[in-house]
Amino acid sequence: MEIQIIIFGQLTDITGSHKVQLTGISDTDELVMELNNRYPALANAKYLIAVEKQIIVKNTLLEDNNTVALLPPFAGG
Amino acid sequence: MLCCLLLQVVEYIKKQFTFLGFAKILKENKPRVIMKEKKFKKIFVEGPIAASFISDSIQKHSTQKTIGGHSIFLGQVRADVIDEKTVALIEYTSYEEMALEKMHEIRESIFAKYDLSCMHVYHSLGKVAAGEISLFVFTSSSHRKEAIEACEETVEKIKAELPVWGKEIFADETHQWKENK
Repeated sequence: MEIQIIIFGQLTDITGSHKVQLTGISDTDELVMELNNRYPALANAKYLIAVEKQIIVKNTLLEDNNTVALLPPFAGG
Repeated sequence: MLCCLLLQVVEYIKKQFTFLGFAKILKENKPRVIMKEKKFKKIFVEGPIAASFISDSIQKHSTQKTIGGHSIFLGQVRADVIDEKTVALIEYTSYEEMALEKMHEIRESIFAKYDLSCMHVYHSLGKVAAGEISLFVFTSSSHRKEAIEACEETVEKIKAELPVWGKEIFADETHQWKENK
């Protein structure tokens, strides 16, 4: 199962990239764990997770080819 | 004579069948209506929002004779000084698809709450230098109170809820990330 992760704002300083792809992840808790393994600084970062453009508040099951976005605090305007 | 008539009849029948055949083919291959992705109103502008764009927007409303008041908010990039370094520009990025949906929700909630004639919102993407405009919110109503209050609430909602980020770039090309207060 492939998950596309798009990364915004200050988080791109940590990951070095706007996009990351993961396989074998079934829910958002696993996703966060895997990302923290790859990018340890992410564990201290503040961000919301959106699955298919919907912000989630708890562990959410993922489907193949879902797009997950990591959203640091908004700074528009 | 009869031959001619017969031929004509045959031709006529042939035509009918062809027509029917054609109609059948058309029916079987009827182009399906393709559901379009919902198109949300565009709000993003590449680079700074020009003063002329703002004045043009104002001018365009002169045909709407039921409007009595406009309220306009302009967000300008400020040359903040942080640790003796001055912000030269902000580079804006956004989760655009999500932002357009979110803006649609904000628009709907504002129109539900206030009796507005119209509302326009524009936000810059990419580089906007200090002193330039990066946000333009424009509300109009028959009487001023609605426009003024709606404008303020819209600006606050945009700053709180729109997935937009700003990289504050200093003169020495180092950067930090904008935090809304």
